[in-house]
Amino acid sequence: MEDKFDCIIVGGGIAGLSAAMVCAQNNLRFLLVERGEFCGAKNVSGGVLWGTELARLVPDYWKAPDAGFERFIRHRRLTFMDEQSAFSLDFKSDHFDQPPYAGITVLRAKFDNWLASKVEAAIEASAFADESFLVPDVLVEELLLESGAVVGIRAGEETFYADCVILAEGVNNLLTRQIGLQPEYVPADYVAVGVKEVIRFDQKVLEDRFQLQDRSGLSNEFVGFASQGVEGGGFLYTNLDTVSVGLVLGMKDLREKGGPKPYDLLDTFKRHPAVADMLRGGESLEYAAHVVSTGDIRALPKEVYADGVLVTGEAAGLLLNSGKAIQGMDYAMHSGILAAEAVAAAKQDEDFSAASLKRYRDALDASYLMQDMRGFQDAVHLLHSPAMFQAVPNLFCDFGRQFFTIDNAPTRKASAMLKDSIRKHSSFLEMMKLGFKARKL
Amino acid sequence: MSKILTYLAVQDGKIKRASLEVLSHCRALAQEHGWTVESVLLHPDARSLATTAQQYGAETVYYMDHPQLQAHLNAPFLAALHAVITHANPHVVAFASSEAVKDMLGALAVRTQAAVLSDVASFHIIAGGVEAKRPVMASKLIARTQAQGARVLVSVRAGAYTAEEAPTEAALVPLPFTFDVDTLKQQVREVVQDALGTLDLSETQVVVAAGRGVKDEAGKALVTQLADTLGAAIGASRAVVESGLFPASAQVGQTGKVVSPDLYIAVGISGAIQHVAGMQNSRVIVAINKDGDAPIFNYATYGLVGDLYAVLPPLINEIKQVLPTTPE
Amino acid sequence: MKIAVCIKQVPDITAPLHIQNGALVFDTNRMVLNAYDASAVEAALVLLENREGSIHLFLLGPDRAKETIRKALAMGAHEATHLLVPDDAALDAYLSASLLAEQLKQHTFDILLCGKQSQDTDAGLTGTMLAEHLALPYATNAVGLTLEDDLVVATRQGDAGQEIMALETPCLVTCSNDMNNPRIPSIKGIMQSKRKPVQTISVTPDATPSTQVMGYEPLPERTPGVQWEGEPLELARRLVHHLNDEARVLS
Ligand SMILES: Cc1cc2nc3c(=O)[nH]c(=O)nc-3n(C[C@H](O)[C@H](O)[C@H](O)COP(=O)(O)OP(=O)(O)OC[C@H]3O[C@@H](n4cnc5c(N)ncnc54)[C@H](O)[C@@H]3O)c2cc1C
Ligand SMILES: Cc1cc2nc3c(=O)[nH]c(=O)nc-3n(C[C@H](O)[C@H](O)[C@H](O)COP(=O)(O)OP(=O)(O)OC[C@H]3O[C@@H](n4cnc5c(N)ncnc54)[C@H](O)[C@@H]3O)c2cc1C
Ligand SMILES: Nc1ncnc2c1ncn2[C@@H]1O[C@H](COP(=O)(O)O)[C@@H](O)[C@H]1O
Repeated sequence: MEDKFDCIIVGGGIAGLSAAMVCAQNNLRFLLVERGEFCGAKNVSGGVLWGTELARLVPDYWKAPDAGFERFIRHRRLTFMDEQSAFSLDFKSDHFDQPPYAGITVLRAKFDNWLASKVEAAIEASAFADESFLVPDVLVEELLLESGAVVGIRAGEETFYADCVILAEGVNNLLTRQIGLQPEYVPADYVAVGVKEVIRFDQKVLEDRFQLQDRSGLSNEFVGFASQGVEGGGFLYTNLDTVSVGLVLGMKDLREKGGPKPYDLLDTFKRHPAVADMLRGGESLEYAAHVVSTGDIRALPKEVYADGVLVTGEAAGLLLNSGKAIQGMDYAMHSGILAAEAVAAAKQDEDFSAASLKRYRDALDASYLMQDMRGFQDAVHLLHSPAMFQAVPNLFCDFGRQFFTIDNAPTRKASAMLKDSIRKHSSFLEMMKLGFKARKL
Repeated sequence: MSKILTYLAVQDGKIKRASLEVLSHCRALAQEHGWTVESVLLHPDARSLATTAQQYGAETVYYMDHPQLQAHLNAPFLAALHAVITHANPHVVAFASSEAVKDMLGALAVRTQAAVLSDVASFHIIAGGVEAKRPVMASKLIARTQAQGARVLVSVRAGAYTAEEAPTEAALVPLPFTFDVDTLKQQVREVVQDALGTLDLSETQVVVAAGRGVKDEAGKALVTQLADTLGAAIGASRAVVESGLFPASAQVGQTGKVVSPDLYIAVGISGAIQHVAGMQNSRVIVAINKDGDAPIFNYATYGLVGDLYAVLPPLINEIKQVLPTTPE
Repeated sequence: MKIAVCIKQVPDITAPLHIQNGALVFDTNRMVLNAYDASAVEAALVLLENREGSIHLFLLGPDRAKETIRKALAMGAHEATHLLVPDDAALDAYLSASLLAEQLKQHTFDILLCGKQSQDTDAGLTGTMLAEHLALPYATNAVGLTLEDDLVVATRQGDAGQEIMALETPCLVTCSNDMNNPRIPSIKGIMQSKRKPVQTISVTPDATPSTQVMGYEPLPERTPGVQWEGEPLELARRLVHHLNDEARVLS
């Protein structure tokens, strides 16, 4: 086995490319295989890449003229909507206006492809410039096992061997299932479907409309009428001269509501007055749909490592949808980095057994990622309670309507208005229960 | 005085309509700029064909009528065109784009040291050269392109201009064909004529085009029947050519032919950009496809969502009823 | 048998694109091997399937184009010459052909293959320009290519039918993508490609191109059409009515 790699990475999404970058930086001989025609070809995200970790992989990434990102987030908004109104928490700060930006919007086809080119450059600069490879357009069909340990991959008629394999195959994690780390069947409770459209504007129009300067951008999340009674929420992010707008909808709830088509729901969402105002005059470029994890900890694989294998990103169910943001890409990036670091350490010891690779699990547990996933389970469940996508937004909007209406009648006290709204859309008891849950956030 | 020379291609014993379209445009340009417009004919019957050239306004017709010029072969035609251009010394030479012209244009540009623009949708004369509009990126947009130089060659897409008669008294100038056939290092062994009707795709006003949705001989028969009813030429997508049902010469698109008829009926074609590149300038586009989301509907004037096997029979019938003289 | 193949890097034209300040912007910013050249490489590989020989790639382009060379090497070509030009070099087919020809004159080959056209510009000029510079017999728009003793037999798609041409070597053939379906490189192919020789030669175009793009324009707008569903007979009637009375294209 002269062609044996230190590591094979399956999947050239964010997790896989991040792992590859760290492998190259650590002078490992590795092979990354991506089934898309190029990295990013089929990948779908909203998407905001939160956190500052990209700067670790690609120092000063924002300076390059060919930077693969769209805009950094300087303006954030969380909107509660009913059929006609929108009540927003709006926050804008120059505080966000400094590199390394803690949130950037990306379009995956462009971003992943760009990140792949940076990995290629890192390979060229590494000790194994001619012995590490990024290979697109090839599907890994099977993991090769020897006495229970993962030793390689099979793609078509080709087989390749490595000390270990990093699985970064995304939410549809067939290989993770092949080796039994995850049951064959994941209940619909634990998955959602994301639909997204990209809409183009004249850049000047976009910048004026959203009050953007240079590369600053807006992220706007929506709850309530956005998902039209189905569990979930909406998002709208500004890119350079396009806007990404979409919904994330609970699969189970979607089915139980008689299977409304996600695309129809998106269409209605886009026609909501608050959204339509933002989208007017845009030209729809593309539409995509993709499964997303819900971030429910019960859906995680049994384990994220075994003899000769590590599972990263959404393949490991790592994602947090807390309502104020979806964190899938930063989780993918962080877990990819940690996995590759674990491989580099295992290489030092020449030990790729489960016992050695457990250091990946330990690093994950110690990181913000698992802490947040554990810590925010209540938020995840809260988000899935009908009150959150129905009663609360309705109540907010109702209150807003009363509060902001000035007519030629005596003005009531805000507290009275609020009481009214609560009675109309919910009950004090329910609100107390919600408040009790939210207290833990 | 500056000159504009147009190459008149001959097919089936006639000057191609597309060449006459280019001649008409060149005549208008010449008029506008006070130039002369001349033509060149390379064909054994060139002399008698020259009358057509006069009818469309050529002031001088250079011709060679050597038997070697009966069928297209790049080397002799190149030599002939080179000789005519050297003799006439035109500022601009215009061609109607075709496979035969594509087979020579680049080489001719090098041989005559001319700037060259191929497959333009329109062109006009500017100081020091030619400006043209060229569809690019699989015809997703238009590039405004300039060619500068003492000599410019341009080839023009079929259907860009209309052929209009404007009779003149032209001078007929025979030129000697001096190409030595023995120097030929290539030979045509055989020409396999495609057996699909006699109508030339780029010359008819109606095209019925089949795609992969046409799955078998029965489907092909329906398409053929529809084309016959309308007096239309038959086009095809790459996919259905690949399947072997339709000949390659029927292929419309980036690799195939570019057409712009009055009516283009796309039957069972999805509307990939490379196909659309060849037909989007048709005046009226009809799409028949069972998938209502097929991209072809974005280009269709009239879109019918339905199974072609069910829609074509009544359609043929209905058309027969409104067409008083259906060619049988 | 030595086969030379000219390959070009082009933008991925299937990606959404738009005009920004007069320039073209592709959303994915991705560059690919010209599809017609991929067919030329495939054709060369097929010719050498039962024959000794080698395939030498020639590409004129900026630094970034080396990914495209790698891709064609991964398909199975043996070596490459990269004529490196600055990122912002102004080139047209005429200038490119002169630069390529100058380089090709220093090599021997039996067959020189090109794509029939570039996917981005659809110019279709470079091939015959090279043939003229190098004084080679040639056939364009080939949909078939075989060898018979010392002759290259190319089937070219002409205007009305297919012309089967026999050419003496050395000769030039420009390939249509209708000739074959280019193979996707295997992982092994990609691994080997990194060890294949690529010679890089910097060239500076010493002339301004005689043709230049002054700007881009969107296509003229088409008025949006209508879309009908329903019973076949009903659909047929409605269409004929509109073709006859509204569009007036039936006569
Ligand atoms: C509509 C929508 C909106 C979202 N918005 C956001 C957001 O705003 N912010 C955020 O952080 N996250 C967002 N997410 C989630 C985010 O997209 C994912 O969590 C993230 O992409 C996971 O990264 P990954 O690298 O694990 O997997 P992926 O990005 O899915 O990459 C997996 C890769 O592996 C490849 N692959 C799979 N199987 C094989 C195989 N057998 N052989 C070879 N290759 C294979 C795939 O082609 C793919 O490229 C959103 C998701 C959706 C659907
Ligand atoms: C460099 C390059 C150049 C190319 N050049 C060309 C070119 O010149 N010309 C060209 O055509 N293509 C060209 N292509 C190929 C092009 O990309 C498409 O693959 C091709 O056009 C698809 O042909 P199609 O629409 O017939 O097939 P498909 O895309 O398979 O579509 C078939 C359609 O038929 C419909 N259908 C199926 N059954 C029925 C039924 N019973 N009734 C009604 N509808 C039905 C389906 O809904 C579908 O929309 C080129 C590609 C490349 C890469
Ligand atoms: N820059 C280049 N480098 C190598 N080959 C080229 C280049 N430009 C064009 N060609 C070849 O010429 C063919 C036709 O190109 P074009 O004239 O641009 O349509 C291409 O398919 C290539 O084979």
